[in-house]
Amino acid sequence: METAEKILTNAKMPFCPGCGHGVCVRSVSKSLELLGFGPKDVALVSDIGCSGLVDPLFATHTIHGLHGRAPALGVGVALGLDNPNKKVVVIQGDGGATIGLQHILEAARRNIDMTLVVINNLLYGMTGGQMSGLSTNEFKAYKHSDDDAEPYDVVNLAHQSGAAFSVRVNDISNFTNVLKEAISTPGFSLVELSSLCTSHGMKKISEMEDFIVAEETFKNKRPVGVSLKRDTSSLLETIKVLETQFVSTVKDSVGIVIAGSAGGGIQSAATMLAQAGMLSGLHATMKGEYPITVGTGFSVAEVILSKKPINFTGLEKPNVVIAVTDDGWNKVKNRISENSKVYVDSKINTDNLFETKEFLKVGGKKGAILCAIAHWIKASEVFPLEALLKVVEDSKYATALQNAIKSADEL
Amino acid sequence: MKRINYLYTLILKCNTLRNVTSKNVMIDASRIITEAVVQSGADVFIGYPITPSNLFYSYSKERFPEFLAGPDEISVLQWMCGYSAAGKIPVTATAFPGLALMTETLNMAYMMELPMVIIITQRLGPSTGSATTGAQGDLKFIDGIISGGFPLPIFSPSNFSDAWTLSNEAVKTAVKFRTPVIILTSKELVMTQKSFDINSLEPIEKVDTTPKAFEPPYQPYKAGKDMVPTFYPLGNNEYQVRFNSSTHDNEGLIRKGTPESLANTWRLREKLEKRVDEYTFYEIDAEEGAANLIVTWGVTADASRDAVNSIRSKGKKVSLLIVKTLLPISQKIYDIIDSYDTVTFAEENMTGLYKEMIFGKRKNPKVKTATKFASMLTPSEIEEIVN
Repeated sequence: METAEKILTNAKMPFCPGCGHGVCVRSVSKSLELLGFGPKDVALVSDIGCSGLVDPLFATHTIHGLHGRAPALGVGVALGLDNPNKKVVVIQGDGGATIGLQHILEAARRNIDMTLVVINNLLYGMTGGQMSGLSTNEFKAYKHSDDDAEPYDVVNLAHQSGAAFSVRVNDISNFTNVLKEAISTPGFSLVELSSLCTSHGMKKISEMEDFIVAEETFKNKRPVGVSLKRDTSSLLETIKVLETQFVSTVKDSVGIVIAGSAGGGIQSAATMLAQAGMLSGLHATMKGEYPITVGTGFSVAEVILSKKPINFTGLEKPNVVIAVTDDGWNKVKNRISENSKVYVDSKINTDNLFETKEFLKVGGKKGAILCAIAHWIKASEVFPLEALLKVVEDSKYATALQNAIKSADEL
Repeated sequence: MKRINYLYTLILKCNTLRNVTSKNVMIDASRIITEAVVQSGADVFIGYPITPSNLFYSYSKERFPEFLAGPDEISVLQWMCGYSAAGKIPVTATAFPGLALMTETLNMAYMMELPMVIIITQRLGPSTGSATTGAQGDLKFIDGIISGGFPLPIFSPSNFSDAWTLSNEAVKTAVKFRTPVIILTSKELVMTQKSFDINSLEPIEKVDTTPKAFEPPYQPYKAGKDMVPTFYPLGNNEYQVRFNSSTHDNEGLIRKGTPESLANTWRLREKLEKRVDEYTFYEIDAEEGAANLIVTWGVTADASRDAVNSIRSKGKKVSLLIVKTLLPISQKIYDIIDSYDTVTFAEENMTGLYKEMIFGKRKNPKVKTATKFASMLTPSEIEEIVN
């Protein structure tokens, strides 16, 4: 940690005459220097608005972002640096705290090691003195604003969200001491400083008293939020290798549509069929189709098994259609062509157009689709049923899956 | 059947002894892209769940050295900017609704010149549309996503091999040019599983992030002839670093309308457009004597490959251009397109969005579009339009 260099540059303060922001900036720099931080130990994150004019004033690292997003940017900087010797200080105004309130709560919830300074002059100074979410009702009445919604207490909100330290300071003479405490507190600290907008608000600090919220201080004893680093292994190492062990009778390609309901294991059964095809020396694809609902509605999968490598994974004319529930049947019945082989559960009403089998009865709700697939494999002899049994043998549900496949014998 | 299997097993064992090196798996492109960006040196995945990018989220949770769940997409990209400014390479994956929320911060990352990779899985819009239906409908939005019409590198894999190599190129380009890079995919491209020999993937080299040499004194936005400033992270002990989202000078301080600050902004366009051939990727399957060209990208490329095979099997000549760096468009792409009498654009959207990038919306007798809305364009549909 450096100690000799100044935190501030010699740049002239860019604020209006009498503006309270200069005091806030000097208090931040003084507190950092008193704590022994040098310029390169500090990453200053600035927001938009009058408080966002501070970059040239600081000799530290600086990053100047978007309106209200500085606390989120600060979270990224703090976690990305992951260095207790570096300090992230974020400065924003009450307007930024309003539009980006979620970012403050998130930083507090995670107790990220950074200090957020909210300079509250009760208004949007740069755009003409409009009211912010932190403007008090007294101030809004003074400014003839019709809005009487209570202001956010950002200090208490940060506390409720889990900030290690959150405080509102109205007394200028205490700014530096409180900032020192905040900056030296591990975890997330928020310091709301009262400021004066001489262009759109009060002309003197003494006039502010009737319009500001009382000071308050909160603390939470919590561990500092970190982002865990871990060693991981390649995603290509953890995937099942499927080398040819069986022989297939498929001469060109076969396209199978498998249909059922969500929760019926349709997608995984289709994957198993494709994998069994691969174990039999075939190229395979598995494309799922389902609504956005999770546990209800149809679930359809298309599997292509082919002697040649497959480019297009869509299935224009299925050779085989397997359906075990009404949901699935209603979704796929229009895709059946005169050349399609159709396998339908006996509970589905097909107007006697197709022969049905009792897949649900013998395979059960979860096993019906594997029962039906096994039935088709046996009937078509595309490859031995052992290929499908082989696919499921190392599953944690191996016994249930094998039983479902073998239940096809009972049909 | 059992006898045939026994003999076949014997043949397979012999093949194994002959050092068969294939490693066949059922895999999807989400897994391949995730692995590729990690092997390329990506440090952290920051995500917010959205269909159909969910597989990226779950694979990244398993694979990335660091994983963070953001509370919303604005936070996700802001956190990524923070990580990037601190010298890390962040990655996220989203779809149009998430990208829409990220847009302001994407502009910030672009202006700050922060390397990062954003994976977009296209789905059917407008708005929330159909989250589980693929599409190729976001290209024009992305083309104009940087205010002022500035270029952003957009990579579009067309198959698993591309998913691997282009993801590596995306990280490389992000670091080399100090820019966000988008990998533009589609639902069926990244969620459909396909048999694939993963041993066919070439090893990936980790991208070197060592700061390059510069002419002193160091200024965070002072660029040399290559138009890309040397990157030092926030918090480094050597040089003061300033990043700035507003128009800024070489030092990184806000300057309105000065020659230096405007040149700095202008440079953002020039570094990517003048050097576009360094990251332009495409595949041309040119048939001698062909007057017709099919132009396609992303998820429609495989259907186009099949259409080309079918057309040629009937004795007709046709060439195929698969564009993999969609934006900015290299002169090389225009030259290829200009060398054919008739061009058919095959895309999974209403009007041919890439076609409109090249030829605009005006009708052109040389140009045809094979398009499909709300489902995959098929090889036969492409063939029909070409013929």
